[in-house]
Amino acid sequence: MAESVEPPRFDLARRIRWPQEDNKIPREIFTDPDLFRAEMDGVFTGPVWVLVGHESEIPKPGDYKTISMGAAPVIVIRGANARVSVLVNACAHRGTRLVEGPSGNVLRGGFRCIYHMWTYDTDGRLIAVSLPEDFPQEFRKEDYGLPRARVDTYRGAIFATLNDDAPPLLEYLAELTGGLDKVLEDGALEFLGSIRVIFRANWKLYVENIYDGYHVTALHTGFQVVRLRSHGGERLVPNYERNGHLWGRSRSTPVNQLTPALRDMSLFDTRTKPTTDHNMMVVFPSGVVTDYFDTIQMRYVIPLELDRTQIEFAFFGRQHDPEEARLHRVRQGPEVLGPAGAITLEDAAALERVQLSATARGENVVLKGTPKRFPPYRHVDEAPIRHFYQAYRRLMGFHSDDH
Amino acid sequence: MLTSLVDAQGRKQAALELLVRYIRIVDDPRRLAEWPDLFGDSAEYVVITRENHERGLPIAVIRDDTKDRIIDRVTIIKNFWGAGGRAEDHHYNESWPRHIVGPAWVEFTESGEARLGANFAVYATVQVDPEPRLLALGEYQDVVDFSGEIPKFKSKKVILDTSVLQDVFVYPL
Ligand code: FES
Ligand SMILES: [Fe+2]
Repeated sequence: MAESVEPPRFDLARRIRWPQEDNKIPREIFTDPDLFRAEMDGVFTGPVWVLVGHESEIPKPGDYKTISMGAAPVIVIRGANARVSVLVNACAHRGTRLVEGPSGNVLRGGFRCIYHMWTYDTDGRLIAVSLPEDFPQEFRKEDYGLPRARVDTYRGAIFATLNDDAPPLLEYLAELTGGLDKVLEDGALEFLGSIRVIFRANWKLYVENIYDGYHVTALHTGFQVVRLRSHGGERLVPNYERNGHLWGRSRSTPVNQLTPALRDMSLFDTRTKPTTDHNMMVVFPSGVVTDYFDTIQMRYVIPLELDRTQIEFAFFGRQHDPEEARLHRVRQGPEVLGPAGAITLEDAAALERVQLSATARGENVVLKGTPKRFPPYRHVDEAPIRHFYQAYRRLMGFHSDDH
Repeated sequence: MLTSLVDAQGRKQAALELLVRYIRIVDDPRRLAEWPDLFGDSAEYVVITRENHERGLPIAVIRDDTKDRIIDRVTIIKNFWGAGGRAEDHHYNESWPRHIVGPAWVEFTESGEARLGANFAVYATVQVDPEPRLLALGEYQDVVDFSGEIPKFKSKKVILDTSVLQDVFVYPL
């Protein structure tokens, strides 16, 4: 009569049947609320490294930003000793949110909880407790620091993991470091600002869209209007047998060969690089890094609810940028890859519509480029989406009969 | 003395009328082509979050810092978005915006420029959703230019109260 007790995610993996073919995606994974909750643990506190920021966003001691790793609210902070920590944004006493708002500086005073005035320093150590008389005798402040994520950086990009089994960061990133080297260079970036927007779609729809080279000319019609094409290029999936990151590379038509449909074509101009080569990367599961034209951008994908996802678009320049280059990046970035820009709006529109009809049972299917089984794919292929879901399925315990 | 008072009253009235003209145009997607005419030749149109504005971070949601970029915005909305570049009357997120504006105030600087301010909420009724959406909430911080025949915006800054935009938006705010 003894029933085997398994974590709920395995039950879900049984309830939602993933088709045998790895190019099919059951729509239920976008509509099942239990699955969403299971993902917050299975994926975001799984053995992954989550991209949570860049060091240039918190340049001074005490600077912090807030973000979530899946459902876990965290504070990314540069401590008094300049070291970056990622602390859970919940008081160790009774769990009150410690800091609100997107960013700030707490060098003096640290974090003081409003509820009972426990105070933490920039390393998350509990340094003061109000009225501690009549606490249990064994109470020690050292036991009540803020839980901290393991943190590592790569060329200034800050990664965090809540899982002890995550491999070392370099092993996790594998060949993706090649693309990060190109975009981040020596890591000496200047943070220019972020724009955050809510997409009305499941977080996986947002991420899979980046792997999809097929939609680019079909959906982003502005590219057709100016006759901008990607030349050559490929979609690599570094470490695809384990994590399924994406590294798309291609070269776009130089601005002087485009149809001048706009009076100010600087939107499509590449001025700070010798060629129009660019990179578009996904650091599985929820980070995006790109150097499209002259726009250096990182995106942080934060699942809010089953059908609502917050995307933070963080824009950067290089510390040695001359003033014209900086201004060019400021004018170009949001205009291309921001929520009111020429491209992002269309992705939002498409993804919202996929989400809206995901309640129609059945499967989404990935076709273009799939006769090829392994990367590299062509830059116009959607086949890399399979590798995103392979990594996802492994973490979530979905059976993959074909492996 | 009397003339300058009349002049100030007249300018104040004219600035408020410019605001009303603006709202009437941005509330009607069919009149989008008229939108750039509300701006002077060296005007700017900026939409920025209060967060970035107050932190002095230059990234804006929209930074149309020349009249060319203001005119380009109409081209992007009409010709870039959706339906293979033939999007004039059919594009993604077909939406009907509604600006709720007020109170509005006018102050004059030493140089006689009028600073026009107003609180706003913008709702959008979209086809994909039965519920109207609160798209944006914030404040206009405008400068009106009286040098031409009719008053125009020299600068229109749209300060968004929320750090997180509730949706992408198509039409100017
Ligand atoms: S919950 Fe923070 S001090 Fe009590
Ligand atoms: Fe896209």
